Amino acid sequence: MSPLMVANTWRRSAARVVRVSVLMMRKPTIKSLSSAEQWLLGSMALALGAVAGIWLLLGPVPMAAPHFIAFVLLIASLAASLVMMGLVGRTRRQMEAVLEGRLSAEARAIEALRHSEAQWKEVFEHNPVMYFMVDATGTVLSVNTFGAAQLGYSVSELLGKSVLKVFPAEEQSAAQSNVAICLENIGQTHSWEICKVRKDGSTLWVRENAKAVRLDGRLIVLIACEDVTERKQAENALRQSEMYLAKAQRLSHTGSFGLRVASGELIWSEETFRIFGFKRAPSIKLATVIQRIHPDDRGRVQRTIDRASSAGKDFAHSYRLLMPDGSIKHVHATAHAMKDASGGVEFVGAVTDITARKRAEMELHEAQATLAHVRRVTALGELAASIAHEVNQPLAAVVTNAAACRRWLNRKPPDLKEARGTVEAIIKDGNRAGEVIQRVRALVSKATDQRAALHINDVINEVISLVQHELLIHQVSLRLELSPDLPLVIADRVQLQQVILNLVINGIEAMQPVADRPRELVIRTCQDETRQIVVTVKDCGVGLAAENAGRLFDAFFTTKSGGMGMGLSICRSIIGAHGGRLSASGNAGPGATFQFTLPVTQEGAP
Amino acid sequence: MTARPAPPSSLASVEEPVVFVIDDDASVREALSNLFRSVGLRVEVFGSAHEFLQYKLPNAPSCLILDIRLPRLSGLDFQAELAKADIHIPIIFMTGHGDIPMTVRAMKAGAVDFLTKPFRDQDMLDAVTAAIERDRNSRDEAMVLSELHALFATLTPRERQVMALVTSGLMNKQIAAEIGLAEITVKIHRGHIMRKMGAKSLPDLVRMAELLGIGPASGRSQT
Repeated sequence: MSPLMVANTWRRSAARVVRVSVLMMRKPTIKSLSSAEQWLLGSMALALGAVAGIWLLLGPVPMAAPHFIAFVLLIASLAASLVMMGLVGRTRRQMEAVLEGRLSAEARAIEALRHSEAQWKEVFEHNPVMYFMVDATGTVLSVNTFGAAQLGYSVSELLGKSVLKVFPAEEQSAAQSNVAICLENIGQTHSWEICKVRKDGSTLWVRENAKAVRLDGRLIVLIACEDVTERKQAENALRQSEMYLAKAQRLSHTGSFGLRVASGELIWSEETFRIFGFKRAPSIKLATVIQRIHPDDRGRVQRTIDRASSAGKDFAHSYRLLMPDGSIKHVHATAHAMKDASGGVEFVGAVTDITARKRAEMELHEAQATLAHVRRVTALGELAASIAHEVNQPLAAVVTNAAACRRWLNRKPPDLKEARGTVEAIIKDGNRAGEVIQRVRALVSKATDQRAALHINDVINEVISLVQHELLIHQVSLRLELSPDLPLVIADRVQLQQVILNLVINGIEAMQPVADRPRELVIRTCQDETRQIVVTVKDCGVGLAAENAGRLFDAFFTTKSGGMGMGLSICRSIIGAHGGRLSASGNAGPGATFQFTLPVTQEGAP
Repeated sequence: MTARPAPPSSLASVEEPVVFVIDDDASVREALSNLFRSVGLRVEVFGSAHEFLQYKLPNAPSCLILDIRLPRLSGLDFQAELAKADIHIPIIFMTGHGDIPMTVRAMKAGAVDFLTKPFRDQDMLDAVTAAIERDRNSRDEAMVLSELHALFATLTPRERQVMALVTSGLMNKQIAAEIGLAEITVKIHRGHIMRKMGAKSLPDLVRMAELLGIGPASGRSQT
């Protein structure tokens, strides 16, 4: 119950008591009392004067001396009565004045009270607070006009009725228990928020302050309610919005965070807590969070944050979390730098759990690697004869040399010098055969993404050694224009070999129908103006059909009857993964040119 | 063709036998060279057919060992080119696996042998020995023939005509009737022919005529 209301109630009661007593005092009039006294005194003096005069005129002529005495006495008594009249009149006036003063003060007091009561009544009736006075059974004893109007009722419609009338069914028990609580704790103020229903059925939210008091010997509950519907709606809207946001964060696995650099304090959203696997708290220390980061990423993350903090710059980074159960989560965080009120750096950002995406990426990567591997093995299958030839050549040399060596040794005397030289040749050729096998094995192996610094020309030469036979069969002459002073590239040797192999085989196949001109394949390496390494494979074959140019690198697009349409698509993704670009163009003359670029430093490779 | 075997000056080979090797693979080339040297054979190696053609061939029984797959010009094409240029040298082809169709073609075109890499040293040496022997024989035959040609060239046209008819088995009288001469004149021509050709008997002359490819047709064609 509001103190205002309590005070108001008391004042009202007091005002009523004062008014009653004043009404009782007003019955006799002071004015009539005063004139009666005056008239009594005046008439007594006049009566005395008249008796004396009559006695003088009508009585026996007195002796000169007694007569004179009598006359003097008459005069004296007249004078005395006049003085007395004067005195009495003054006293009366004084008394009247006092009485009048007292009367006007009373009138003012009454007036003031009346005014005050009107004011209080005005306050009570129209103060934008709903006042209810209910008895212990919940019957409305009093309600202000505003309160009734707010609920769409007139005061008379509510008086004497159960206060439950203004509560919707689902709130009635709450309303009852609220009143009960007040009655149990007399004199204590309780407050709550509750929904009420208007006469027209619409609802409004109110905040109620209530207090049970004992008035005139019985318990009543004084209730003041304030309409909080708007606030409640705003609150609800905010809560809804927060709920949506939380839901959206949950759905997108994205949490938000704020970081005050100075205090190292993080403010997190629910989802952020969920991602990091911490219990919800108003704030959390950055140092605590850092401990959850995978030890291998911790240093890097700390450095990123430190750098961004000192520079006041935005940052974005990905890292892993090592959860208490030993599982790994991949997250990506982006943050925007701001200045707080004191000029310190503050970050606002979002952190996304990208574990599922990472896993999908990894699976995709694996699938691509498997496909690339299948494609490599297929290509090697096509090259089987060529590879056999490459192994067979040194093998033939080894066998022949070994036989020769035996003959040198069987001579009488043995020619050891020749034999020794022959053994050297055997070792050299044996190694050469081994290298070919290794190269093939590398291409067949599933191991990928073993990046190392390498010379692109070496990679090309290794591939060329595998396709010699193919070139021969198809009577293709190969021209190598390899720039000798190229910088190293960081790349996966096998993957690059696959790309070059694919381009070379494509070139050879494209020249198969050519009969009217020499079949020449040119492989060129150089550096472009941006220092990127450029590898060009140019054929003089059938060229590119204009309608196919756009789809060349699409998966499953092929112009070959037996082709799977994966070769160029895989090549493009391999080169893309190395930070380069694979493109194709028609030659000015016959044939087509395939070209790919590779960055010379690791930057640019993802 | 720039490199032709020098015309033989006598029936005997003037130089020791030579083995020629053409292979684009230096290892194989050197290994073969080593093998032939170890058995005391003279060997010349070439990286390409073109290199071989630049080389002045010695007047010696020889053979050519050729990889069936040569860059630019294949072994088979080279074989055909040599034949076209009238260079007759026994060719031993070296083949890889799965080259059977090419091997068949090579054999049909007159290759003396083919060996699959890697080959047994003895097989190679046997093949080379046989090829050189064959070359030696064909060289001897070629020399005999060329001497016969030289002798034949000394005959007059009429003597050549008579020789063709004689070796076809006609009697002097028949020949006389055939070409409208007196029998005695035919007899004189016949004596000249026998002397100029160095033939000891009629069968000897017939053999020479066969070697020279002279038949009755050539004799009659002049009528």
